[in-house]
Amino acid sequence: MFEILLASIPLLIRGTWITLILTFSSALLATLFGLVVASAQLFGGIVPRIIAEAYLYIVRGVPLLVLLFAMYYALPYAGIDLDPMSGGALVIGLYFAAFMAEVFRGAVLAVPNGQWEAARTIGLRTPRILADIILPQALRVAGPPYINTVIMLVKGTSLVSIIGLADVTFVGRQIVERTLAPFEVFGGVAVIYFIICFALSRCGAYLERRTSFVH
Amino acid sequence: MSTDAIASQAPVEINIRGLSKWFGAHQVLKDMSTEVHLGEAVVVIGPSGSGKTTFLRCINLLEQFEEGEIWIGGEAIGYLADPRTGRRTSRSERDIARMRAQVGMVFQSFNLFPHMTALKNVALGPVRVNGMRRDEAEALAVSLLARVGLADKKDAMPAQLSGGQQQRVAIARALAMRPKAMLFDEVTSALDPELVGEVLDVMRQLVQEGMTMVIVTHEMAFARAFAHKVLFMADGELLEHGPPAQLFGDPKTARLQAFLKRFKEGYQL
Repeated sequence: MFEILLASIPLLIRGTWITLILTFSSALLATLFGLVVASAQLFGGIVPRIIAEAYLYIVRGVPLLVLLFAMYYALPYAGIDLDPMSGGALVIGLYFAAFMAEVFRGAVLAVPNGQWEAARTIGLRTPRILADIILPQALRVAGPPYINTVIMLVKGTSLVSIIGLADVTFVGRQIVERTLAPFEVFGGVAVIYFIICFALSRCGAYLERRTSFVH
Repeated sequence: MSTDAIASQAPVEINIRGLSKWFGAHQVLKDMSTEVHLGEAVVVIGPSGSGKTTFLRCINLLEQFEEGEIWIGGEAIGYLADPRTGRRTSRSERDIARMRAQVGMVFQSFNLFPHMTALKNVALGPVRVNGMRRDEAEALAVSLLARVGLADKKDAMPAQLSGGQQQRVAIARALAMRPKAMLFDEVTSALDPELVGEVLDVMRQLVQEGMTMVIVTHEMAFARAFAHKVLFMADGELLEHGPPAQLFGDPKTARLQAFLKRFKEGYQL
């Protein structure tokens, strides 16, 4: 029995690699676009704010799987044909950007108003206040929920196995179909996800300690 | 409004004319006019909710005001009025920031930047706003921290300082901008009683050095001993003003009499 798992290790590693690439690219997109959405909400005029709000409501109200299906099955009809990797990263990135935006917006709002006022009274202007005063404090607040959202994203990537991207879940399912050893194989897949998420959690805890204001 | 005997020879540094402000339908400042002369320490007293803090925040444009003018050192702050139509337009953020830099403000809740040392808190303004070289700004910060008695705390983070120490750093931070005037908003109200004295000592020193100051406080003993002029506010109105001996010794309005009486009784209850 144990040999089955050993024999499937190279395949699982390849799948893990796909999962990691997908995680990295979609997390990067989610972070950048999340920052854009949060900035629009916090500092934008009425139009950017409405667009950002609408975006958040739509994403919050539709399951990720449905969005993946829409990308995979519906977009080709519109003449847009994305390969599963780019399409998956795009959809997952844009989906989690909504949650990232909430993390960033909440973190900026968590910095007490007195910090803005103190900075204004010494004559600093908004961009400078953000860079020197607000963001260093907000990033610290954002750290734990940010890591949390990335962990959700890692697990969310497993949905791409349904649209045919050979991530670690997809590979696991293939191996099970051939070997009929679901317990061992999916157990292994679960352990791989767990290791990735556990590592992220530990990184988060480490950063939290490092960025504490009093060492 | 007549000027008061003390310091009236000095030029007017802060001139407030017909200041009115509303929060929605509620008028919180009602046609306030007063003058603060160069080197004068003006203390604002009054019951809570009387608009003292709002008044102070208007001087530094932390609050917008709907009517009236505030002049600091001969410059109208916040708004530009068209001489023909009288219509007001807001100044640019750049202008407002430049004007704010000329008036120091110290808050009830200190508002130190928690991610910076005491030294960096004080040096930030000179470097970022006045374009001072970092080493110069840090030398200035060290001398100001020494002046408020915190030379040995320059590398401490705010969280490592007591409330009184934090408030003194906040005063040094405001002084670092070499302000024309300083505003103090109930700066001892959040402090433990035994820490109040060290902050008042620094303020007394500033009064004696001739800093122009507007101080909102409940420290009546301080007002009595060191203010050049006292303003009494109630319900957004400036009801009485004059030298402390006059206001505390011979209050004219029933509101001030009641206020001072409650204050004397307060500790005996």
